[in-house]
Amino acid sequence: MMLRLQVLALTALLCACSKKQEETPTQGSQAPSTAQQPAKKAVPVGLVIDVGGRGDHSFNDAALRGLELWAAGKRYEGGKYVDAAPDEVRKSLPAHLTTLATSLQALPVQPVVLQSKAQEDYIPNLQLLVDRGAQLTIGNGYMLANAVRTAAQENPQSRFLLIDSQVLDAQGKALKLPNVRTVLFKEHEGSFLVGALAGLVTKTGKVGFVGGIEVPLIQRFEVGYRAGVKTTKPEAAQTLMSVYTGSFNDMAAGKQVAQDLIAKGADVIFHAAGADGIGVIQAVKEARAAGKSVYAIGVDSDQSHVAPDAILTSMLKHSDLAVYQAARDLVDGKFAAEDQLLGLKEHGVGMAEVRVDFPGKAEALQKVEALRQRVVAGEIKVPSVPADLASFQAPAP
Amino acid sequence: MGERARQALPSVLSVLLSLVVCWLLIALTRDADGFTTATAAYLQMLWGGIGDWPTFLGGSPVAVLTRPIGEAAMKAALLTLTGLSVAVAFKVGLFNIGAQGQMLLGALAAAVVGSHVELPALLHIPAALLGAALAGAAWAGIAAALRLYRGVHEVISTIMLNWVALRLVDNWLVVGPLRGVAQAGASITGTAEIHASAALPRLLGDVSRLNLGFPLAMLAAVAVWLWLERTRTGFETRAVGLGDEAARAAGIPVARRAGLAMALAGALAGSAGAVLVLGTEGRYPGTLGAPYGFDGIAISLIGNNHPLGVALAALFFGAIRAGGTRMQLLDVHKSFPELIQGLALLFVAGRLIWLSVLRRRRAPAPVLSAPTAPTPEAPHA
Repeated sequence: MMLRLQVLALTALLCACSKKQEETPTQGSQAPSTAQQPAKKAVPVGLVIDVGGRGDHSFNDAALRGLELWAAGKRYEGGKYVDAAPDEVRKSLPAHLTTLATSLQALPVQPVVLQSKAQEDYIPNLQLLVDRGAQLTIGNGYMLANAVRTAAQENPQSRFLLIDSQVLDAQGKALKLPNVRTVLFKEHEGSFLVGALAGLVTKTGKVGFVGGIEVPLIQRFEVGYRAGVKTTKPEAAQTLMSVYTGSFNDMAAGKQVAQDLIAKGADVIFHAAGADGIGVIQAVKEARAAGKSVYAIGVDSDQSHVAPDAILTSMLKHSDLAVYQAARDLVDGKFAAEDQLLGLKEHGVGMAEVRVDFPGKAEALQKVEALRQRVVAGEIKVPSVPADLASFQAPAP
Repeated sequence: MGERARQALPSVLSVLLSLVVCWLLIALTRDADGFTTATAAYLQMLWGGIGDWPTFLGGSPVAVLTRPIGEAAMKAALLTLTGLSVAVAFKVGLFNIGAQGQMLLGALAAAVVGSHVELPALLHIPAALLGAALAGAAWAGIAAALRLYRGVHEVISTIMLNWVALRLVDNWLVVGPLRGVAQAGASITGTAEIHASAALPRLLGDVSRLNLGFPLAMLAAVAVWLWLERTRTGFETRAVGLGDEAARAAGIPVARRAGLAMALAGALAGSAGAVLVLGTEGRYPGTLGAPYGFDGIAISLIGNNHPLGVALAALFFGAIRAGGTRMQLLDVHKSFPELIQGLALLFVAGRLIWLSVLRRRRAPAPVLSAPTAPTPEAPHA
């Protein structure tokens, strides 16, 4: 009896384990070598990324690019750092940032990256980086907001950068700490542009949105996207289908949801769902292989390389730039604790290059560019919360 | 004593074997200096589990010892409680694969009692713990009731209830009705923060996250052991697990024992959730992804389903997992501790399969020379 139970237990457990492995695919497996020490004295800069992990082709990879490639001039390959080729930095820049290429010089910093397995790992990971002498420790993602607050209060001599959230106190009020810089983005502005493009591209008149966890941050993506679609194709905004998967690290969930949207006739799907979004892209790719004309819109990083034919564009969120600037300020001795808010105007968000071809592409891109300039000029106020969406009037062309 | 050692030996050997295999895995996947790296990584893991002694002896403040120990103790407490949950159900002959779901419900209940009720600390902590235990027990009770009244196999029902719990809590309650309130525009995840009076006190102050949850978990292990070994109901529970027909014939209320054991299992898993929320997180986080409930199955099996064995296994793997994060400093993947645990489990399982093969082969043979010990070098094909 006991024995049979235990064997049963094992089988069940094995199933659970194999599932777990499926869920975390593209992690660079632990291959060779210890971390390399650069010859000159480099400032250690720590980065704790959230449970989405390295290799999400999105939010975490953006921060990693800012620290590893742009700031340190290194590439993480097969488990170790190698020097990046000189033109690699420039290649990683989208068109609207190429002007920055000359100012992006490699800094004497040494990245130390820790991934987190679970929520409760955030504080020990931040603390470990501080203990290892990191001059600046970056918490990537709003999920680390509490952990950064605690770590910053316990280590007043150390500096922190928090991406995507302000420091909040126990009551959820914004809190200013003398050693923390925070960066927020106007995701709605970037999402507005990709929404406008989606409205111009859709043939079925139905577009979709897949979000991760339904928090105000992710809602900003949806609201901006809706506003964009409303601007270029009002009737598609009426039928816009939006789904939240409830996670950022479950590819299967993203894929399932996207297949559902495609079955309901959506032909452009924008995701803001971390690793779940990779599932969205897969679903779109498979639908294309089956002969449907469907596009996905990536998020945070330019995701075109994940599925070159299937990605219409990506809504870029330049946490890479925010990380780079923080590292540069640190090296220059100018790091100040402040709350930054970066929108289209500040190059905090943007739209990636459109690499696929569709009828009327040039014209569509012109329209979107015109919209972009009007947002930058402040003529168009893109709503950021669902409540403001109803009163948003699509701007006259 | 000798008998007990013999029972523990396979687990110990399995764990050691898995440590060696994983060490080799690191060593052999490196281009150069594989063995040095693997050893360095293991040392990092060790210092991350039991405190960074070399740095401490080199003159660093005591925090380099207490912080890692606190982390290890915290993980050990969680693994102990979920491991006990699985072990208790095993003892009554049920397989509780639903510790994860019970833990989620417990965590939520602790977060709600911790934030929505105002009490002095002396009452608040027990109230929150009790709430969590009851929530976990109720969730397990569903599976027990289905089993006892409708004959639904508890493996199926508990697995399914895990998903129900996940969707109910993570995807609805925590992002919906119970979501913490923040200023407009700020993204806050999880429920409102618990009152200070509900937080489990830190035993070492600011220099460690070691909290009351750890002694409580150890106490729970001892209490479960005493209950199973030294009380009548505990004995009856074990009797049901060994053979429910015989137990029924002996006049033991089988259904009641099974139901109570399952409720206790749920209460233990629920307390694990409470220790997480009241001890370190301070709220139910946006998503409680860590699969301590599933780990409980492994811990229970490696601990040979013995409450004290569970506590030992949990202490060991708590330290390994707290320390495992540090292996990333040497570019070893973050999930290596899970790999060690998984392999250990596999080797423990190997023993079980091996024993069962042996037993079956011996069974049909007639009694030739009564109770001679089986020859150690049993012939394999």
